[in-house]
Amino acid sequence: MSELKLMKGNEALAEAAIRAGVDAYFGYPITPQSEVIEYLMTEQPEKRTGMVVLQAESEIAAINMVYGAASTGKKVMTSSSSPGISLKLEGISYLAGAELPAVIVNVVRGGPGLGTIQPSQADYFQSVKGGGHGDYKLYVLAPASVQEMSDFVADAFEIAFKYRAPVLILSDGLIGQMMEKVHLRDPKARMKNEEIIAKYGSWATTGKKGRERNIITSLDLQSEKMEARVHRLQKKYRKMEQEDLRFEKIQCDDAEYLIVAYGSSARISQKAVELAREKGLKVGLLRPITLFPYPKKELFELADQVKGILSVELNAGQMVEDVRLSVEHKIPVEHFGRTGGIIHTPEEVLEALEQKIIKDGSIRHHKTRESSIL
Amino acid sequence: MAKVQGAIVVNTETCKGCEVCIPVCPENVISMSSEVNRKGYHYAYMSHPEACTGCTNCGIVCPDRAITVYRVKISE
Repeated sequence: MSELKLMKGNEALAEAAIRAGVDAYFGYPITPQSEVIEYLMTEQPEKRTGMVVLQAESEIAAINMVYGAASTGKKVMTSSSSPGISLKLEGISYLAGAELPAVIVNVVRGGPGLGTIQPSQADYFQSVKGGGHGDYKLYVLAPASVQEMSDFVADAFEIAFKYRAPVLILSDGLIGQMMEKVHLRDPKARMKNEEIIAKYGSWATTGKKGRERNIITSLDLQSEKMEARVHRLQKKYRKMEQEDLRFEKIQCDDAEYLIVAYGSSARISQKAVELAREKGLKVGLLRPITLFPYPKKELFELADQVKGILSVELNAGQMVEDVRLSVEHKIPVEHFGRTGGIIHTPEEVLEALEQKIIKDGSIRHHKTRESSIL
Repeated sequence: MAKVQGAIVVNTETCKGCEVCIPVCPENVISMSSEVNRKGYHYAYMSHPEACTGCTNCGIVCPDRAITVYRVKISE
């Protein structure tokens, strides 16, 4: 049976990591993510499951420790917040290039630069459009509750090992700091080398006794080989799009207007949908749970049903570009969002929907581009 | 009649500056400090201590259990 607890998002994620049988965590503290490493240090998982928890000397050291440990076929993770993730991006690109499974958690804060420690969703571009160098993508999960902070850890490792690719959990300061009840999954023991090989195949550097050596690298100086590697990665990403797309539709069946939002914005927008329904406005919410792969097809189809879409994000307009690409300019798409660490209220979201979409519902796509920033 | 004087003690390291305690205080006792704690959050403090009635609204609503409320009976 699962255990019911009242926890902070960051703590729930840390506890879930121990319970998911993660072998190692390497991190470096940064607000608003520090509770992850604090909780892991206090819990002493080395006594519970044998999990290694280590505070590296920097974010860059932490991600390279992840690279090393992931090469041995172990379940490894790291977490940080926006400025720290920027530092980790070189390592993340290397992980993707070397086809290593790992889970990276970003509890987003406001930027650019040192920015603020308050919640934000301004790392959307960084997360889904590469971030680091080279032709790679991250599978991106966006939790919208403390429950999902907990559940997505095990889910992320499933995906990471299925595709041998790094997975990003894109949370934010709001979900990370929020206290909510959470059903914790039953603890699983860490996997032994033989179990890993039986389940995922022998690709890791586990000792070459009795087999050919496995090489973990992202370097290929022969162009033909490098191109083949890139194609192999792209094939994985296409497969992710076909098999592991996740999204949630809330009151979309009879919707005339649509809000698209993920993570904390989705929680706020859900309340805005309720307020709209009380006023007699038929509003629905599409919540992408995976930001890559993105629910393009669903949005394309919904565009035939609804009159306009509002993309609600805690940033100056990032995901709105993917919404526009998905609906191919069939209907007006606008953006609404506060920035700098300010969190929009459900009332503000509804007001923006009424002003930008419902009032101007008759105006077609040629006019929709200008007013996308608040 | 006995009058009740209240006071709150904020655990400044636990406080994450969510400001949930401010609107629930009927006497507007609480404000956010201009100082920050170790994590960088502005924490809650009693800006008008004399007005506190010890109603415990702030203590109940605090998601991080950072506020302790004290009550003293003042006899007249």
